[in-house]
Amino acid sequence: MDFRTFSLSISQTKVARFAQELAQGKIMSTLCTRCGKRYYPPRADCSACLGTEMEWRPLEGEGRLLSFTKIFVPPEHFALPQPRMPFSSVQFDPCPVGIVEAEEGLRVMGWIPKGDVKKLRVGMRMKASAVTLPDGRLTIVLEPL
Amino acid sequence: MKRVAIVGIGHGKFGVRSDASLRELTFEAVTACLEDAGLSLQEVDSMVTGIAGDEFSISLQPSAQVHDYIGFHPKPNFRVEGACATGSMALRTGWMNIASGLADVVLVVGVEKMTEVSTPVATGIMGRGGDAIWEYPFGMTFPGYYALIAQAHMAEYGTTEEQLAMVAVKNHYYGSLNPFAHMQKEVTLEKAMTSFTVAHPLKLYDCSLITDGAAAVLLASEERAREISKKPVWIAGLGLATDTMRITERESLTTIRATREAARIAYKMAGIGPSDVDVAAVHDCFTIAEILAYEDLGFCEKGEGGRLIAAKETYLDGTIPVNVDGGLKSKGHPLGATGVSMAVEITKQLRGEAGKRQVKDAAVGLSHNVGGTGQVVAVHIFRRE
Repeated sequence: MDFRTFSLSISQTKVARFAQELAQGKIMSTLCTRCGKRYYPPRADCSACLGTEMEWRPLEGEGRLLSFTKIFVPPEHFALPQPRMPFSSVQFDPCPVGIVEAEEGLRVMGWIPKGDVKKLRVGMRMKASAVTLPDGRLTIVLEPL
Repeated sequence: MKRVAIVGIGHGKFGVRSDASLRELTFEAVTACLEDAGLSLQEVDSMVTGIAGDEFSISLQPSAQVHDYIGFHPKPNFRVEGACATGSMALRTGWMNIASGLADVVLVVGVEKMTEVSTPVATGIMGRGGDAIWEYPFGMTFPGYYALIAQAHMAEYGTTEEQLAMVAVKNHYYGSLNPFAHMQKEVTLEKAMTSFTVAHPLKLYDCSLITDGAAAVLLASEERAREISKKPVWIAGLGLATDTMRITERESLTTIRATREAARIAYKMAGIGPSDVDVAAVHDCFTIAEILAYEDLGFCEKGEGGRLIAAKETYLDGTIPVNVDGGLKSKGHPLGATGVSMAVEITKQLRGEAGKRQVKDAAVGLSHNVGGTGQVVAVHIFRRE
């Protein structure tokens, strides 16, 4: 699975396996075998001890919602094309995004499908999971526990 | 250590400048700056150019374009980049040129031409200024990042959307008095509160503008400064600090840690504390960013930023006037130009030339410039004689 299926722009990285695991339904972190520091997002190299021997570890992804937003003015990869019918507009109802603090303080960003910003609360318990979208893109969603 | 002063300032009109190119915007600010200093370009030793984005300028080496257009060859030009803090990093680089003895007079230019590309493209370029690999795939934009910060600050300290809007009301009021501002008009609290949501809970008037513009300052060594200017403004303290690329890896979402560290270094170098600052230009790319700046620069206790603006303490007659030039919010935020524009404004204040926006007897000024969501922060302290 091409890493670009997740990242939208970059396919060449030493942690491209992250995308393959996402496609299998797993969110992976890396663990430095020299100093024990764990990374999410995964890294191929340790910035704590400069070691390069890493092990892949699955992430449970359960924890507290640190913050969330709903972005109504999206960037180019997410913006709607103009409708071709004159005098017409398309209604845009974006999906909220948030950050969950999972095990060992690792933070996971993800979409909150059907999330209502009036009902979401900082501190609520959520779980991050891997998802393959209908168009083949790989991503992560956060759902209330 | 050698002392370095600002001896000339120049500022172009900020706005949607569809009449001018990157190089032409630069020319306006540079000629105004040289005129202010009463110096010719031949008397300048080197140049530092702050331009944040190759993607905005749609070319490689945009700094060579602007250097060429003012006809500064064969003298040296250094390009500096630090996202939204680019301009302050250019000022710091100019200072380093003189403090090292390499040069006696240095022209520092900040410029950005952001409106040549469409709004979704500009939003994408800036969104990928977060973490292009790990965070952009979730549709992150700059308003999105600061919305995450705002939501967390509201949950932790009880800051309200109304307090955020009060920052916009203040900055638009002062922007209405600044002829160089992009949006020279006042905004009511009601209008700010009912404007459309850009990234919940941030609304249109919580966001700074996508702007074209240029600003320039001329720096000189102590000896040359005394020859050139009757009112040199001294750079008394410089602090630069950094933090993680990804917002998810920050120790706290409600503090810009690099601001605290850069401020600590700059205050120490200048031998002052936050209560000694008479006027400040802080990085209000979003209204929540100004509230964080109040707290992280030490103008109030952590969590009290919302109450500081509600009490109007950051107006001209308050305890610490902040962004009385309109800030990024109303003046506009042409990335590379912003930090230099802050230095121009503080210099005006310390020279007593800010007109209706003048802080009485201002002697010590501070500028605070945040790159991205706090990946890099520059704090500078300025003093008059």
